[in-house]
Amino acid sequence: MLGRTGNIISWTIVRVPPADFFDQAPYPVVLIELDDGGRITAQLVDWEDRNLKIGQKVTTIVRRIIKPNTEGVIPYGIKVKPLW
Amino acid sequence: MVGIVSYGTYIPKYRIRLGDIASAWKKQGEEVVSSLRVAEKAVPAADEDAVTIALEAALRALSSSGLNPESIEGLFVGSESHPYAVNPTSTIVGELLGIGNNYLATDLEFACKAATSGIQSLAGLIASGQMRYGMAIGADTAQSKPHDVLEYTSAAAGVAYIMGNKKPIAELLAYTSYSSDTPDFWRRDGVQYPSHAGRFTGEPAYFAHVMGSATRLFEKTKTQPSDYQYCVFHMPNGRFPRDAAKRLGFTDAQLAPSLVVDHIGNPYSASTMIGLSALLDIAKPGEKIFMVSYGSGAGSDGFVWKTTKELVKSQKFPRSGIQLRGTKVKSKDTVQDQIERKTYIDYVQYLKQTHKI
Amino acid sequence: MKVSIIGVATTKFGELWSVSPRALAHEAMSGALKDAGIENGRIQALFVGNMLSGMLGGQEHLGAFFAEELGFSHAAAIKIEGACASGGLAIHAAVSGILSGQYETVAVLGVEKMTDHKPEDVAAALMGAGSSQERASGCTFPGLYAILARVHMLKFGTTQEDMAAVAVKNHYHASLNPNAQFHRPITIEAVLKSHKVTDPLTLLDCSPISDGASALILSIKHQASSINIVASSVATDTLGLAERNNLTQLQATKEAAMRAYKQAGIEAKDIDVAEVHDCFTIAEILALEDLGITKKGDAAGGIRRGEFTLGSAKRVVVNPSGGLKGCGHPIGATGVKQVVELVEQLRGEAGKRQVKDARVGLAHNVGGSGATAVVHILKK
Repeated sequence: MLGRTGNIISWTIVRVPPADFFDQAPYPVVLIELDDGGRITAQLVDWEDRNLKIGQKVTTIVRRIIKPNTEGVIPYGIKVKPLW
Repeated sequence: MVGIVSYGTYIPKYRIRLGDIASAWKKQGEEVVSSLRVAEKAVPAADEDAVTIALEAALRALSSSGLNPESIEGLFVGSESHPYAVNPTSTIVGELLGIGNNYLATDLEFACKAATSGIQSLAGLIASGQMRYGMAIGADTAQSKPHDVLEYTSAAAGVAYIMGNKKPIAELLAYTSYSSDTPDFWRRDGVQYPSHAGRFTGEPAYFAHVMGSATRLFEKTKTQPSDYQYCVFHMPNGRFPRDAAKRLGFTDAQLAPSLVVDHIGNPYSASTMIGLSALLDIAKPGEKIFMVSYGSGAGSDGFVWKTTKELVKSQKFPRSGIQLRGTKVKSKDTVQDQIERKTYIDYVQYLKQTHKI
Repeated sequence: MKVSIIGVATTKFGELWSVSPRALAHEAMSGALKDAGIENGRIQALFVGNMLSGMLGGQEHLGAFFAEELGFSHAAAIKIEGACASGGLAIHAAVSGILSGQYETVAVLGVEKMTDHKPEDVAAALMGAGSSQERASGCTFPGLYAILARVHMLKFGTTQEDMAAVAVKNHYHASLNPNAQFHRPITIEAVLKSHKVTDPLTLLDCSPISDGASALILSIKHQASSINIVASSVATDTLGLAERNNLTQLQATKEAAMRAYKQAGIEAKDIDVAEVHDCFTIAEILALEDLGITKKGDAAGGIRRGEFTLGSAKRVVVNPSGGLKGCGHPIGATGVKQVVELVEQLRGEAGKRQVKDARVGLAHNVGGSGATAVVHILKK
């Protein structure tokens, strides 16, 4: 799943987040059509306003999903960031 | 001959200008910048940490090596910001890289020289025939107390070197290490920010150990500064490496291409290694490089590298870590490319991204 | 098939701060039993539709819980959950129980208590309706529909004003419904001006967080005057949007509707009154298209022209109760309330909301972003 490329086919900006994502809002969630087939839903990171458009090229990366409470295991997962 | 087979670097894209940090604390920006000789530093995104940064660097090293991840038999990750106090960073990175289960995973810690000690260990394991390929990674999202002088330079980046003895791009000709009990910079368990001993971090700490290791390295190899094309030293700020180079007898031209600190600050365990990567991005075959790292507490690891003709092929390839099928990668992701790929943030955003607010 | 609805009742929907789930259930069920003219000893099975009792209230075992609370001593009782389709699914289970010959007279209770929790905890709980990939992305439930809205806007030129027209219609209908959460009509401008919750959806594009309960009594025994369920169908689709075949429609709705029309022997054009699942304004646009009430891409225009509004409707009146948007959306209760509304319409007891000569009604209840769809068809 890492280093795969694709483009944005739909997006939203979450402004009213669920509990675990409280400290991150607002953030974009995007629906990606992968270049080698299939689709994923993921958070878009390292973004600027101009990247939130249909057709924006992105690549999959690993980031920390949420900041767990003091004792929890840290969850890592797939997000996407804009390519050029 | 053991050496670096492939390397990858990752610098987060966010930057904060030192002047903006200074204004927040009602200090003169120009004064800070000229005394530290650093203009801006790299800031990690809020969801980046040593694990994710180590992984980015590792993917880049792997993609430009063409190696199957399962051929990595040792993975040594050095950091002073491992996300867990107890739980290895190296196994999380190894799992995400797809190395499999048949490898030695090791987490290292020694302030800013955690990773360079890993290079020496892996060199020994490979030379002894125990391993064919091993990866040493230095990755940090360095923390510093707001308003403290370290706030101006503590940065984030990651570098991965795949070591091996088949067609290295840079051979490891010799190495030394110089260690002593010198508490110049430390962080007690459970405490959030590190402490440091001010001016004590200079002469008795950084300089004593860098010079100690360097002197020993010159003796061991029977060489002198003029035998080298380039040199690279640990970069806690822009002054110390320039002073060290001068005192050892290197010229400005030999040091200049490695001075990434001026643009990204000090990414701790990745500092010296990213300086070396910047050199490997531009060096020609048959050139010798003198490298000395420094870790507080304290110690310095010294290395003599010699580039080979394999370096030319390596410089042609993009090291972006992106699967190239169907996509034209626009840059080779050299250190310089990544230094230039940046977005500025202000002090409030910096505090959010480094989890202070 | 034919299952009679012999009793219906609903509580008010809204922020019912001082009313407990037990009190809500009592009010709805005693109302339905009274409407049916029977004692609770006649109830052989209780089907409870609810989504969040576990995550928000720590109580999962709702079948036994409400059987005890409502005095259905030793009756069969089952909790049914399918996100926002929980109510519709509870009715489907009840209908199946009767058609199987297992039970003669059963009760359905849809109930939800969700207003007295931190908004971010409710938002997190609601994502139990999505896929694990969607949860990991930090997406919220409105966020999923926002993603669908944007695709619909791109493909069919649907605008923010088109979506706002759904909210305007349903708030108008709600102003005629004494049980609705909202009482005042709103304007398109007000919808557009309300703050963005998840671009492009604004606050007024979203149905509210609500408390409430609704109940039905179903029986195999028919009377001449009974309103009957003549179709009850359920269909599913992938949990996550990324795995769907087509992002401009909810295939589960299309499948469930096709099966229901076949079961009832009718077509979309035969429907006089419909309660559809408008959890977000875009959802009603999708529903009218997927139920075959309009052609693909035509729903928005029809809604804006008032073709589905009480008073000006050219065809079917959609969401006379105010829908989820105007009447409120206590999750487990919604699917049951939709049928309560249709029964009142078909009996001619809908007061100011009465659809003239209503003989055939359709209820459409969706779970998640279209992972479950339930369609019921009622006939006089």
